[in-house]
Amino acid sequence: MRHARISAALPKFFAAVVTLLLAASAALYAEFNAGFYSEERMGSIRQTLPAVQSSGVTYDAGAFPLFPPSLPAGTGRDEVKAFCNTCHSPRYITMQPFLPPEVWAAEVNKMIKTYGASIPDDSTERIIHYLETNFSTGTRKQ
Amino acid sequence: MNFSHRKVSRRRLLKALGAGAGSLAIARFAAARPWLGQEPASPQHMPDFTGPGANPYWSSVGPFVTEPQKAPLILLTDRPVQLETPRHYFLQAFTPNDAFYVRWHLETLPNSVDLKEWRLRIEGNVEKPLTLSFPELLKQFAPASVSAVNQCSGNSRSRLQPRVAGGQWGNGAMGCALWSGVKLREILEAARVKKGSLQVQFEGLDRGKGPEGYGSNRFMKSLDLSNPVLDEVILAHSMNSEPLPMLNGFPLRVIVPGYFATYWMKSLASIRVLDKEDDNFWMKTAYRIPDTPDGSTTPEEVKAGKVKQIPIARMPVRSFLISPDGSSKIPAGLPVQLRGMAFSGHGGIRSVEVSDNGGSSWRAARLGEGHGPYSFRTWDSPWTPVRPGTHEIAVRATDEEGNTQPEGSVWNPGGYLWNAIERQKIIVGSNA
Repeated sequence: MRHARISAALPKFFAAVVTLLLAASAALYAEFNAGFYSEERMGSIRQTLPAVQSSGVTYDAGAFPLFPPSLPAGTGRDEVKAFCNTCHSPRYITMQPFLPPEVWAAEVNKMIKTYGASIPDDSTERIIHYLETNFSTGTRKQ
Repeated sequence: MNFSHRKVSRRRLLKALGAGAGSLAIARFAAARPWLGQEPASPQHMPDFTGPGANPYWSSVGPFVTEPQKAPLILLTDRPVQLETPRHYFLQAFTPNDAFYVRWHLETLPNSVDLKEWRLRIEGNVEKPLTLSFPELLKQFAPASVSAVNQCSGNSRSRLQPRVAGGQWGNGAMGCALWSGVKLREILEAARVKKGSLQVQFEGLDRGKGPEGYGSNRFMKSLDLSNPVLDEVILAHSMNSEPLPMLNGFPLRVIVPGYFATYWMKSLASIRVLDKEDDNFWMKTAYRIPDTPDGSTTPEEVKAGKVKQIPIARMPVRSFLISPDGSSKIPAGLPVQLRGMAFSGHGGIRSVEVSDNGGSSWRAARLGEGHGPYSFRTWDSPWTPVRPGTHEIAVRATDEEGNTQPEGSVWNPGGYLWNAIERQKIIVGSNA
């Protein structure tokens, strides 16, 4: 009698085992990988509030925002900020690819001769030194 | 975890199940848990700059920023403002105003314009100098429109090898719009150009901090009065049937269909008729290209002082694959649509061809609706990749004059005229 009861329970036992195995294999062969979020700070952009407009004759876009890059500390950085900044922001420097030192010297001389930048000689030397030291092939850091 | 490893695991598990070794299978499941919990890679930032090799990305690498009247665009510089249009906007023939790229030369550019005070002055070598208000411009001259591509001379400068200094544009310093306004010829006729005049010079409201007489103080560009392109020049007060955004030249901008954007003066204020050739910096020194058939030269020839240079003019033919952009892996056997656009400054687009084997063989793409010879021409071509692995899609266009994009690259010291065949790597994955 007891033997018969066990025999009757056996299919149920096997069914339970198979169900468990199927569940296990389903988990193992998951169709996707989910639920991960990164702590990496990728930055975000706030939306600009639309400018308040009047119906008058003035068509106003507002001020253009600045996005100052960080310039590495070093000899000549103050001169770069004082002189180069007159006509353009330092983004003009940080956007460039690695440039060979002689190209930086040529660029600074172009600013003086072609564009008329008024920079004293010793400051010019320090600016060139700064650019060669921080923004040339082999010297530039990400 | 790669595909082949998973396949082996499955085979082993089936074997285990077949043997009825349930406990073994559960042990395997437990062992597999670390894989299930393996974290996917974190997102990474673009680098801050590229080089000394060519910029490997479609766009320049700067951050997205929002400027007045603009969607988030890619920052090149903030003062003066230079912004690049992201790739996906080029799926359509017309670039939205808020996504249109921006390039100014001088630091002091207009934030606002008072239309009661603003005047367009036509002066110089004319019988009857004119001072036109905004309503006079609208009322006294017949309306005219043209769809035309505006592309920066230095678009794609970051591709050049060796790299050259300057705005490190990717491919997005371009856009196409419907420009509406009045014809330059009508205004010149009203002012009665004197005999013996040579050029017409344009200047906008922008000014620089540099000393007088230097390019850092004023930005001016000129075209020859004998140049047939003048018949097509429009002074546009509208862009895609809207006013121009401030950063794209409100309230009036010069449109020179087929020509590089350097002549498309923004926030136009003065038109001067000259009786001698313009020798200001922006004509005599800047925006000049080698006088060779493709505008190309070498650093050695430049150093040797052998290169004769002429002002840049018409845009060579170009074409782009916009989608797919390589950011998504495509399952083998899935039909996708290759989509993009083409344009040329030498008449419209005759054909666009695509290659899915890096240029070994080519087939014609279907061209989209035409919007005139100076517009973006969209194209598409169905593609069903079969082989898993890396595929290289190449696209090349031919214009109505029969010019086809070159295989080889362009180099000149200004970083102008890039129009080599574009290539895009696309990863195709196994699907079973």
